[in-house]
Amino acid sequence: MSTPEPAEMKVSAQRPSPWRNLSLVWLVPLAALAVSLGVAWKAYSDRGVLIRIAFDNASGVVANETTVRYRDVVIGRVEDVGFAGDLSKVSVWARIDKEIAPYLDQDAAFWVVRPEVSTRGISGLSTVLSGVYIEGTWDQEPGVAATSFEGEDGPPLVQPGRDGRRITLRTTDGSMISEGAPVLFRGVEVGRLEQPRLTVSGDSIVVDAFIDAPHDRRINSATRFWDTSGFSVSFGASGLSLDVDSIASLVAGGIEFDTVFDGGKPVGKGTVFDIHEDEAAARRTAFARSRSGGVAVAVAFDESVAGLASGAAVKLGGVKVGEVSTLNAAIQSDSDEAEVRLIAKLLLEPALMGLPPGAGEAEVLDFLEQAVDGGLRARLASAGLLSSELIVELVTLDEAAPAQLDRGAEPFPELPSAPSDLPDFTATAEGAMERISELPVEELMAQAIATLASIEDLASADSTREVPAAAVALLEDTRALVADPGTRALPAELNATVADLRGILADLQQSKAVANLSAALEQGSQAATSLAAASEELPALVSDVRDLAAKANALEAEELIRSASQLMKSADAFIGTEEARDLPPALTGALDEMRRTLEALRQGGLVDNANATMASARGAADAVAAAAEGLPALSARLERLVAQSEALIASYGARSSFNSETLDALREVKTAARAVSQLARKIERDPNSLLFGK
Amino acid sequence: MENPEDPPRFLTAAEAGLTGCRTCGAVNPGGAQTCYSCRSELTPPSAASLQRVWAWLAAGLIAYVPANIYPMLRTTTFGRASENTLIGGIAELFSHGSYGVAFIVFFASIVIPVAKFLAIGYLAVSVRRPATLGSHGRLVLYEVVEFIGRWSMIDVFVVAILTALVQLDFAAAVFPGIAAVSFALSVAFTMLAAQSFDPRLIWNAEKREYE
Repeated sequence: MSTPEPAEMKVSAQRPSPWRNLSLVWLVPLAALAVSLGVAWKAYSDRGVLIRIAFDNASGVVANETTVRYRDVVIGRVEDVGFAGDLSKVSVWARIDKEIAPYLDQDAAFWVVRPEVSTRGISGLSTVLSGVYIEGTWDQEPGVAATSFEGEDGPPLVQPGRDGRRITLRTTDGSMISEGAPVLFRGVEVGRLEQPRLTVSGDSIVVDAFIDAPHDRRINSATRFWDTSGFSVSFGASGLSLDVDSIASLVAGGIEFDTVFDGGKPVGKGTVFDIHEDEAAARRTAFARSRSGGVAVAVAFDESVAGLASGAAVKLGGVKVGEVSTLNAAIQSDSDEAEVRLIAKLLLEPALMGLPPGAGEAEVLDFLEQAVDGGLRARLASAGLLSSELIVELVTLDEAAPAQLDRGAEPFPELPSAPSDLPDFTATAEGAMERISELPVEELMAQAIATLASIEDLASADSTREVPAAAVALLEDTRALVADPGTRALPAELNATVADLRGILADLQQSKAVANLSAALEQGSQAATSLAAASEELPALVSDVRDLAAKANALEAEELIRSASQLMKSADAFIGTEEARDLPPALTGALDEMRRTLEALRQGGLVDNANATMASARGAADAVAAAAEGLPALSARLERLVAQSEALIASYGARSSFNSETLDALREVKTAARAVSQLARKIERDPNSLLFGK
Repeated sequence: MENPEDPPRFLTAAEAGLTGCRTCGAVNPGGAQTCYSCRSELTPPSAASLQRVWAWLAAGLIAYVPANIYPMLRTTTFGRASENTLIGGIAELFSHGSYGVAFIVFFASIVIPVAKFLAIGYLAVSVRRPATLGSHGRLVLYEVVEFIGRWSMIDVFVVAILTALVQLDFAAAVFPGIAAVSFALSVAFTMLAAQSFDPRLIWNAEKREYE
């Protein structure tokens, strides 16, 4: 639109810098770039340290998912899972936070946490859903950082950096110790066992144990360990005792320790302790301490040392001062003939002999020399009353043959010996043992066993259990007998009999027979004299009547009652005797028999017999009554006779023998009747007397 | 203008003494500084505006890098945490057999952004240099780019919705990763780049070709 103006173009300034027109918008990509680079740099600089952990297998470990944790805090993540060069291991590459990496020195341990069920409980349950993770543990001191680790099978028993002491235990039986088993001190868990392993020679098992601080201070040379696994059952005077330590130690085994004597010295790291069988065995070893420091002396015995063994005690005044080290035979040929002597090497402990601490061989030998001059001798003694083992006893004998401590003897100074009184004692013991063995122990035991068995049989026998029932049955039978209608009827029968007799008597009284008789007698008294010859037959009649009365008198009821009461008495006595109590079977039998007897009695025996007897008595009475009924006829006949021979009667005196005989007969009849009535009354008063005879 | 004997095949607004408003589209007289309709500033088509296109494009490209490197989603299922980048997620979808979904995600997250970068770059370059594509073709390309730009946010929407919905504590939880933010920024920057481009420059450039 306008023409160019060259002049202006000449004066134009230099070409404007392209930066002048630079838009502010360029700040945006610059900022984006800066932010991106910043983020990238931060990501790079924050990137953790890559470490390699070698596991036997990597089950459940997934790259980019599995985390690495320390005290359950995620500190890293698995980046890759691969193999070691020779495929012998699985290599897990994990990136660990930078802050943590310096702590990962060679002490660090890694293991894969999986669900696990063990004697110590169930662990790792959370990994069922979330998958496994790798847990690591290390001490709290940064060290020389390592990047390659060997993975463990499980969490280490001892967390690195934990205070405590690691010791080694040795045992010959590894069956009762297992990894993770607790180490107890007075029942409190203070440590754990690690993996047991065989020694190179294979003759023992060693296991490391870690004792937590501060309990590790209790470990010193006087500490003894023993096996507490399982449970022990002991039977003693106090009864049966069952000792179960803890369920965990029951399953996994356990080791307990204690200081068995004072004055133990501190032990260094890695000290080896023996695991003893039980606490008693562990405590016994308190005497066997420091056996190496003993002073060796030799003793030659002339007698048999059978029963003396290496390790046998050497006692001075009953206190153990050492032990027998070795036994061997030596030939001594100083006299004409060679003699075999048995040399025992003793190791004496200066401290146990009461010598000051630090006393050496010279002091011991000085002491022994002096003592030998005073009569000290070594001799064999029995270890115990019933033991065949021998010990060496250092005794001071007053009448000892003079001898000296031979300090120059080879290889050890020789202590003189004295003959032991062992044979006598042995003989005595043998005699005692013989007597003991002669005791009919077996028989006694057999007898006791038989007695116990029979008692047991008795106690458990059905018959014993039936005794009360039988007794009850007997009582029931007795009650039944008493309640039996027949028994009850017995008094009634007797009453009836008595009533009959009374009736007879009443009849006799009421009937006119008496009056007739008396009239006849009055009338006949006069005629009787004339009938003396004829009346000689009457005494026979009277004697018949008397016999009848005597029979009635001697009615079997009394005897029956007596025998029944005797039976009951004897039964009562039988029941009351000790034998009956002691022999319930017999008693039961007897009772059974009794019962049977009573049953027999009830079922038609005694009572029926008695009834029958009563019935027969009544029959007899009836017969008497019939006879009495016959008397009026007799009287009538007599009357007729009297009437017919009135003149003859007159010839007889008032006190004729017939008359008196008749009166006697009547008196007899009355006596009989009274006896029967007495019996009836007695039975009426006390019917039991029939049964019990009282 | 100076060569009436060689008239252009078409007349631009500037030649006609007019200025189009980029905000409301109203045609203003040539000398006007503000639009009579919407009162917004009227700017003549200037090559300087290309600076802003290039700047936003660069910012978009820079933001697109972490969007692909860093994880888009962090998923926690029953304690197992897993992270997925854009490409990783597509590959996983593909390996699971969800070809359709994989294709959509691939198209929205990879193809469209990359195509947009290329298209905007091509448009910006073509203003200065002879272009193989005709002016009308480039205008269509510009309009397509501007239209499709907003749909690139589909990934970000998916992440936002998943993050909001899937918060089932232990069972499953979804968290957005750095890449989601980067991707959103990248899309925003490319949209700004597209908007910064003045399509009038296409015609001006064509005009220059004939001059």
